[in-house]
Amino acid sequence: MLVILFNAFNGLIQGAFYALMAVGLSLILGLNGVINFAHGGFMAMAAYFAYTLVPYVGFWGALIIAPIMAGGVGYVVEQLIVRRLYLRDPLYSLLATFGLALIIQDLLRTIWGAQGVPLAIPDFLNQPLSQVYFFLTGYRLFVVALAIISTTGLFAVLRFTRLGIRIRAGNSDLETIAAVGVNIYLLRSANFVLGIMFAGLAGILAAGQIGLTPTMGDQLIMPSFVAIVVGGVGSLLGSLVGGLIIGVASGVTAAVYPAATEVIIYVIMGIMLVARPRGLFGQEGLLE
Amino acid sequence: MSDQNKSGGLIDRRGLIKTGAALGAASLLYPPKPSWGASETPIKIGMVDSTTGNFAVLGQSAIKGAQFAAAELNKKGGILSRPVQVLVEDDAGSPGTGVDKASRLLDQSQVDFFTGTTNSAVSLSISQFAAAHNKLFVCSGGHVDKLTGPACNWATFRTCSTTWIMTSGNSGTLVEKFGKKWYFLTTDYAFGHSEQDDYTKQVTALGGTIVGGALVPVGTPDFSSYLIQARAAKPDVLCLLLAGDDQINAMKQITQFGINKDMHIAGALFELEQIAALPEEARYGSWSFEWYWNQPKVPHVLDFAKRFAAANKGQYPSARVWFGYASVHAIALAATAAKSTDSVKVAKAMEGLTLPPEVALQPTLPTYRPEDHQLMLGMFPGTVNQHGKYPDLINVQAYVPGATIAQTPAQTACSISYPT
Repeated sequence: MLVILFNAFNGLIQGAFYALMAVGLSLILGLNGVINFAHGGFMAMAAYFAYTLVPYVGFWGALIIAPIMAGGVGYVVEQLIVRRLYLRDPLYSLLATFGLALIIQDLLRTIWGAQGVPLAIPDFLNQPLSQVYFFLTGYRLFVVALAIISTTGLFAVLRFTRLGIRIRAGNSDLETIAAVGVNIYLLRSANFVLGIMFAGLAGILAAGQIGLTPTMGDQLIMPSFVAIVVGGVGSLLGSLVGGLIIGVASGVTAAVYPAATEVIIYVIMGIMLVARPRGLFGQEGLLE
Repeated sequence: MSDQNKSGGLIDRRGLIKTGAALGAASLLYPPKPSWGASETPIKIGMVDSTTGNFAVLGQSAIKGAQFAAAELNKKGGILSRPVQVLVEDDAGSPGTGVDKASRLLDQSQVDFFTGTTNSAVSLSISQFAAAHNKLFVCSGGHVDKLTGPACNWATFRTCSTTWIMTSGNSGTLVEKFGKKWYFLTTDYAFGHSEQDDYTKQVTALGGTIVGGALVPVGTPDFSSYLIQARAAKPDVLCLLLAGDDQINAMKQITQFGINKDMHIAGALFELEQIAALPEEARYGSWSFEWYWNQPKVPHVLDFAKRFAAANKGQYPSARVWFGYASVHAIALAATAAKSTDSVKVAKAMEGLTLPPEVALQPTLPTYRPEDHQLMLGMFPGTVNQHGKYPDLINVQAYVPGATIAQTPAQTACSISYPT
């Protein structure tokens, strides 16, 4: 019983992490209407940037600069590729970002090599806080704190700033806000870059606990997609709750039947798609 | 010319296409100077291995080794005075893709032999494909026992060790030194199952007990829930039977949870590529290494390591590199002995083939056993050199010749019959 409780608690931590990864994806899906398959690629890219920067600016400097660099690349990508696909069928952007994911992966492999590289995290974070609750490491608490801070920060931006209000307005009716004079192209660029910066942040944090290889994003992207589908497309709160649900579900499954930890999240997604296709907090009509 | 004048001297799209076509045609008129006679068609070795997916790093090492061997052979006159080509296809770690690619290599490129594979499941599928199409397959990197056991066939040889050889390389030492209560974290496919079966047999025979274990799906990023289970079982030895990037993820998280301070972390396979990808604090444990570049008393080894590193941007040869290297050389030696590229004849010549010192690169010279086509590869049990700098990352503690720990041909339950 204790083991199941441990696992549920541990699942919450893991879920917060999934949520952080899902937030950027959800932002881009909401306003840009693009299912960004290259999200995992941007995660790995930022982590590699961080790996290169750490010797010069330290872990903390890299944690700030690398996502901004990835955001810069994201801006170029948005201008050159994604922007051209807004008015087309979503299938186009799906294919384009899928191709982009492969291109990014091969670029990373060409520059940094196929062999993984070690990204070290600060020593004081790299140990358990208590002997009993050994899965509570400084690093994981830090990740949870960051997930909470960045999602509440994002909520605040969306709720109280002009940019945020425009993003939300654009989410529900893009044509109308264009008609009242908002430059929606600029708005969507800004939103895409913000989404990629979130991807970058999540990527660096992930590389602290899993191996940093060009394919790193592949392992992480699916749980984030599932978190979005479960939580509801277009809803940031949904992504957060979705991440927590699949985290706890796979944690508890590990205590009962370990071989099914992977499959359980897809089972949950399947049930959700049948019972409530828009997800827990999704907008009515989306994916329905 | 008139086109160019119209666009003000700048080349336009049409002009560009014409120039491109002209350049292409010119290269047909002036082909690069051939280094081989025109009649000497190359001997093609089709290599199916992972360049993407969970096994990409290991697969690419094997490919580099194979290509290095082919370059060496070509410098010395190739095989049977014909140049050697290694044609690579990516299996992406999936048996179905592997067979598709093998089929493409056979149909489009007419390869003479097959080598490669890192994922054991792919090794098994290519082995069947090769036998069905009468082509020799020298498996370089899939370890599952049954490939040279119940599932063996005349066409398949294997250069890397079996999981039995690998696990016997250190099971005795681990039980004696670290304790009798074992817990497994095992990758959930043929390779992991085979390793766990072998360790279980060996550890229980030595009076140990298995206190638990969990099967982990391939490509798992988060090990925390498995580690909670493992720690609750309070084993002496936490045995990691993972592969590819999974092992790196597990090692990083074990360190963060401090579990390596409570129990001993050990296992069979751990690779130079994986150790290099870990930060210093996550480098630890006892493992059964299959080859190492630093064997001070063995001739040719350091020379090989330096030549390889010089040709590969400073990357030192790992066990995976050696697998690819030795597999291609073994094919060359057998074809030369058979004076043929016919797979049946080459396979017969490979039975009992002993690798020469400059290919074996280890203290004893291993032989491809005729009864099951398994190379009697020696093991290098040892520990990770935590504070070492790349490539100095392994402390080898012993060398165990493969023939002394392998299952006997009777135990492997392999029976080989050639096509008539």
